[in-house]
Amino acid sequence: MSKFLKYKIHYIYLSLLLILLIITNLSLGSVIIPIENLLSIITSSETPLYVRDIVISFRIPKVITAILAGAALSVCGVQMQTLFRNPLADPYILGISSGAGLGVAIYVMGVSALGLSIDSSLMSNLGIASSAWLGAAIITAIILIVSLKLKDNISLLIFGIMLASVVGAIISLIQYLSNASALKSFVVWTMGSFSGLSYNQILILAVLMITGLSISIYNIKDLNTLLMGEVYSKNLGVKLQRTRLRILVATTLLAGGVTAFCGPIGFIGIAVPHISRMIFKDSNHKVLIPASALVGSIIMVLADTIAQLPGSSGVIPINTVSALIGVPVIFAIILKNKIS
Amino acid sequence: MLEENRYSSILKLNNVSLGYDKIIYQNISAYANPGEMIAIIGANGKGKSTLLKTICKIIKRHTGEILILDKTIESINSSIFPTLISYVPSQNPRPKNLSLFDMMATSLYNKTNWLGKITADQKSIIIDTLTKVGLSQYINRDCTTLSDGEFQRATIARSLIQDSKIITLDEPTAFLDIANKIIITKLLKEISITHNKTIIFSTHDIAQAIKLCDKIWLMGYDHFYNDTPSSLIEKGAFDKLFKDSNLKFDKEILNYI
Repeated sequence: MSKFLKYKIHYIYLSLLLILLIITNLSLGSVIIPIENLLSIITSSETPLYVRDIVISFRIPKVITAILAGAALSVCGVQMQTLFRNPLADPYILGISSGAGLGVAIYVMGVSALGLSIDSSLMSNLGIASSAWLGAAIITAIILIVSLKLKDNISLLIFGIMLASVVGAIISLIQYLSNASALKSFVVWTMGSFSGLSYNQILILAVLMITGLSISIYNIKDLNTLLMGEVYSKNLGVKLQRTRLRILVATTLLAGGVTAFCGPIGFIGIAVPHISRMIFKDSNHKVLIPASALVGSIIMVLADTIAQLPGSSGVIPINTVSALIGVPVIFAIILKNKIS
Repeated sequence: MLEENRYSSILKLNNVSLGYDKIIYQNISAYANPGEMIAIIGANGKGKSTLLKTICKIIKRHTGEILILDKTIESINSSIFPTLISYVPSQNPRPKNLSLFDMMATSLYNKTNWLGKITADQKSIIIDTLTKVGLSQYINRDCTTLSDGEFQRATIARSLIQDSKIITLDEPTAFLDIANKIIITKLLKEISITHNKTIIFSTHDIAQAIKLCDKIWLMGYDHFYNDTPSSLIEKGAFDKLFKDSNLKFDKEILNYI
């Protein structure tokens, strides 16, 4: 069928675009590395040591993180939008980022209150990641328990949004009570960053992502029936509460994992599913989920490339870039009335 | 009076009462046979939709028992249940950019693998069914581009692909023009005969129901009636449809005046 040929062509040029962006991303930054040097790092030992160091211990981990984060957040966004039948739903709509934020806030403020320094990198990286993960997991556990009691998805959505605002209020309170340096550490975390992950941390992230993405692929069949309403799904024999549970678990692993290591990355989760629908013109999740993973990776690598453009003067926070890309997209969608 | 055939009844309701929290309608006793087309009529808010949803196990009933093939609906395994009864809601969400084929494919939920892969046989079932309802030329179309009448036929096709013994529909003709109302009702009649399926649907179009249905479940203000259209007319049951109303049922034009 010609439809599948069309999809194949979309996948091919999007993959090529991703490869091109990865190469650009690796060569740009405070030190510009020509593409031929990038290749020779793998093939020979002729390249200067500092170049190898920059690429292998800094840029490659960063680009892998960006790819994983983009795919994860976009796939979560698709599932949330279908589950809640809401085009503005995103991975964070049920309060995962607020939960992670609360974890980090308590950790950062707690460490500084104890008189310890947050600046030591082990303290900041692993401590922040695990406290964010813990915070996200606790909030999701609450949501999961409540979701077993609730009959419909809209009640769950309302509960999630309410819970997120309560957590937000607690975070504000903690911020108000804490000192300047702790506050700064927290604010920097909220801006999001892909850098500073070691290969061991990337391994943890990758395991979370692969598990979460596998569950998401398993969810495809149920998500397709959910497109036509909960009552219809229920009549087909879809076990709605189990489906909801699986979607929530996938979201915790994916969005929770990304947020723990990179901070809350906004807009991608809302915008990418819509961009994918515009490119592929298909709501079937069998197409939409892989498409969103691919488009999400592309946009995240692009955002990271733009973030490091100022060169030696440092990097722009990733959330600033993703908002600058994401907001025009959302406006374009609203203006073109592409929201289903 | 109709005689209940103990052996051929596919669906039986014994003293069922309906409602979410409070009981809204009680003492429903009825049955349906294979190949029968049954209309549920009743005033707004009487519980026609609630009755259909209760039969389809979407909401719980208060008391009484509902049997499909002599088994209570609670005792039927949830993977078997969709092969016995399907439900077409009155308002179906129409997902943008979902092809008619993919929409049909979802109704094979229990017959496909974990990824929902459609086999060649299943594909030809989908094509045949769409041909039957006159939509095969739109198979790759975005289902939001179908007209209301076409979409309603698509939802009926979906139930046919699900291949349940009983098909229930909540006001399938509510938002349609007169031509489409007749097309849909006749299509349902044809399905009940050629596929030997039990069709149960709620409607406000009493004249059509009297002309085409084998039986009517009439939710009167005093009593639930389960009978053929002609004996309901004889009994004057249609005058019991609306309480405190000056409307009278005219037996000649089969409508209220």
